[in-house]
Amino acid sequence: MAEERKQRMTATAAAAKVPKMVRANFTANLKAKEEGRPVAFSFIVNCYDEILRAMDIVPAWAESYSGICAAKHDAGRFLEKAQSQNFSRSLCTYATCGLGFEYWRNELGGEMPPNAPWGGIARSDFILGTGQMLCDPRYKWPQAVQHYMRDVPAYIGGFYWPPYDENIDQREVEHYYLKYAVEELKGAIAFIEKQTQRKMDWDKLEEITDLVDRTWDMFIDAYELRKARPTPMDTGDAMNTMVPLAFMLGTQEAYDFYKDLYDELKDKIERKEGVAEDEKYRLLWGAGLPPWFALSDFQYFNSKGAVFPVERTYREAERIDRLRLPKLSDPLERIALRWMRYWTHWYDAARKRKGSIPEVERLIEYIEDYQIDGVVFHKAFSCRTWHSGILLQAQILKEVYREIPILVLEGDIVDISSYNESATHLRIDAFIEVLENLRNKH
Amino acid sequence: MRVSERCSKSSDSTKKGALEMETANDNGLTLVETYYKDYGCRARALKQVGKRMMGYISAAVPVEIINAAGFIPVRIKGDPKEAITKAYGSMETLVCPFLLNAFDQVLKGRYDYLDGIVIPHTCDSVSRTYEVWKRNFPLPYYHFLNVPHLDGAPSLEFFTQILKTFIKSLEQFTGKEISKENLAHAVLAYNKLRQAMRDLYDLRRPDQPLISGVEMMKLLVAVKALPVDESTALIRQVAKEVKGRKTSSPQKPLRIMLLGDQIDDTALTEIIENTGAQVVVDDISVGSKLYYADMEATHDPVDGIAEYYLEKVSLPTFYRDKGGSYDENLELRFGHLKRFVSEFDVDAVILLVYKNCDPYGFEVPATTSYIESLGKPAFYVEDEYSSSSSSLKTRIEAFLEMLTQERR
Repeated sequence: MAEERKQRMTATAAAAKVPKMVRANFTANLKAKEEGRPVAFSFIVNCYDEILRAMDIVPAWAESYSGICAAKHDAGRFLEKAQSQNFSRSLCTYATCGLGFEYWRNELGGEMPPNAPWGGIARSDFILGTGQMLCDPRYKWPQAVQHYMRDVPAYIGGFYWPPYDENIDQREVEHYYLKYAVEELKGAIAFIEKQTQRKMDWDKLEEITDLVDRTWDMFIDAYELRKARPTPMDTGDAMNTMVPLAFMLGTQEAYDFYKDLYDELKDKIERKEGVAEDEKYRLLWGAGLPPWFALSDFQYFNSKGAVFPVERTYREAERIDRLRLPKLSDPLERIALRWMRYWTHWYDAARKRKGSIPEVERLIEYIEDYQIDGVVFHKAFSCRTWHSGILLQAQILKEVYREIPILVLEGDIVDISSYNESATHLRIDAFIEVLENLRNKH
Repeated sequence: MRVSERCSKSSDSTKKGALEMETANDNGLTLVETYYKDYGCRARALKQVGKRMMGYISAAVPVEIINAAGFIPVRIKGDPKEAITKAYGSMETLVCPFLLNAFDQVLKGRYDYLDGIVIPHTCDSVSRTYEVWKRNFPLPYYHFLNVPHLDGAPSLEFFTQILKTFIKSLEQFTGKEISKENLAHAVLAYNKLRQAMRDLYDLRRPDQPLISGVEMMKLLVAVKALPVDESTALIRQVAKEVKGRKTSSPQKPLRIMLLGDQIDDTALTEIIENTGAQVVVDDISVGSKLYYADMEATHDPVDGIAEYYLEKVSLPTFYRDKGGSYDENLELRFGHLKRFVSEFDVDAVILLVYKNCDPYGFEVPATTSYIESLGKPAFYVEDEYSSSSSSLKTRIEAFLEMLTQERR
């Protein structure tokens, strides 16, 4: 109990509110289903947030539900169900957990699998996926899940951004990426209109697009307060506080959450209240989705005086003025270009530093802005999109920037069988020792 | 002359010799054996006389454009018989095992004759490791081809633009314009290749196929590192040779269709055919996926190229949905398998999917149930890029034995 109290002291009040918000999201989709309101099987950072909110569609967040099952240490039985259907254990475990769940529900004739965490996830009326740079499961999972919900139609939109090429200026090709993305967003609206017999309220869409811009700004303003020493919030909390950005974008509640977080962090900074009692080392969570079943590892870092004032994961937002967006009147163009520029706005910096790449520029920016002493990556075996290329990023960072201690943890996002707590803690201990030795040298 | 001697001769050949099309006065099947065993030896020889080589990964790269730019396209493959020793330090093991193995081969100098590499956006393993290739195997030219995953009019228009950017980057690299005529010529040449390959596939339709699955696999691989016209001539030569074969066995073998992605080694087919069964058709990315449709000769050849790759190459990286029901979409995705089952009189299907492969891995239940709906047994195996593991052998032999028992 003593340890639990200590964890609560270090967590922000904002982060502590999040579990209830997540639960409310799932209650909302179950309730909507009961009441006959449309529910969409959705994925985060898919570009549909404004459209969903403007059309009063209730999202059922697929990855979120798998994360909940993992956090409750109750994903194993769904993973096994998926495996019984010949879905490989090496596939994205967010997806296989969700697929196992839907297979089971289908087997039960539509009934919720027994003792489903938090009452389960609603059976959706339609599916929204994307083909894009972010990950394959965003279109393969929808296709695969239809095998167990054959009456549920799917719309997959294409939302690509120009890849980094030191010889091709992304602005030269951006126009056709933008045109394509706008067409695909129009396709999504037409699809939802057909499924729901509702018409898009374009004024509302514009208002929500404005609100999302403001939410991105407020999110970044709040997160940048973490530059303070001692940092008032670290990645352990950020894995909670990302929820409004990822799952509630386009709602006033999401904006208000980050405004409250901003106020709370200001207050903590004034009182010099840090995450760790004695902040010794400032770390960057360099890449990787977290092991949802072992988030207490962040507290383990904290107990050694190590904090994470910044992370790349779930920071899918930027201050709007930094994206240098032109004045656009069409909300769909604004949504699409904001999305594209978010991913490409590190490209110029990469071109300027010989041998660099955008992912590394982003690391360097955070290292400098947040006075970072070391970088931690998490490599989840079942996710290729976040976790391929980490070795290269670590190597380039050292080559083009400076020697900096790096720790690569290995595990998974959902599959607890990949995790060994004592081995992980031993690796963290060794990493802290490296940081300590380095500090003693200087 | 032994195969190894032939290939080293090919590599050391004089300028004049290297430029000759080797199929003209040669035994096609022997040459296939040579090119299969020493993959890329012809490309290496041609490099010595000034030809330019462009490596690429996957079936989603338009080789027509590479050809029109004056390069010989060389499909990069791994070597499942060889242990990975160099790639581990720079590429994560959680990626597709084929890709890891191919990268290992590149690091070992197997592709030291390439002028550049084109890497398409086919899956996360490939797209996320693009910089890893560039950094660890530096070449004068690299291009990431941002292939969309969807079909339909906006995707087609987008892909056309992507191809135009690709063409522009090749033009900048070579300093030479790629004309519509160049492209049209390449389209025609590859259509001839496709037709020749389909004609050869037809020789597998009789009760006693005229060419074995192992021979076919060797040919499918061999032509991936040859100039297009040489490939076509080689295929025709092989067809001519096998047409003269006389079948003696009265018993019709178990007829197998092989499904998967980059299966580019004979090991799996050998396991199957050593039991007496025969691979009579495939749906793999070095095989029929590339050959069973022609590319339309459009006014602007880029339109036809875009349409072909997005609409006609059946890779699971492409999401097919025309707004119909799930069953209608299944037909869009797998309808060609129904035709193969019927036209090649297939008795059973073996589906091999590599570990860590999201595009194929997510399709397994849909694929196997579709096959089973045709009244044919489907056997799914997951493996590393090493088709000769003993457990794989045991499982496949047991499956085929079961089918043989049922037949009796």
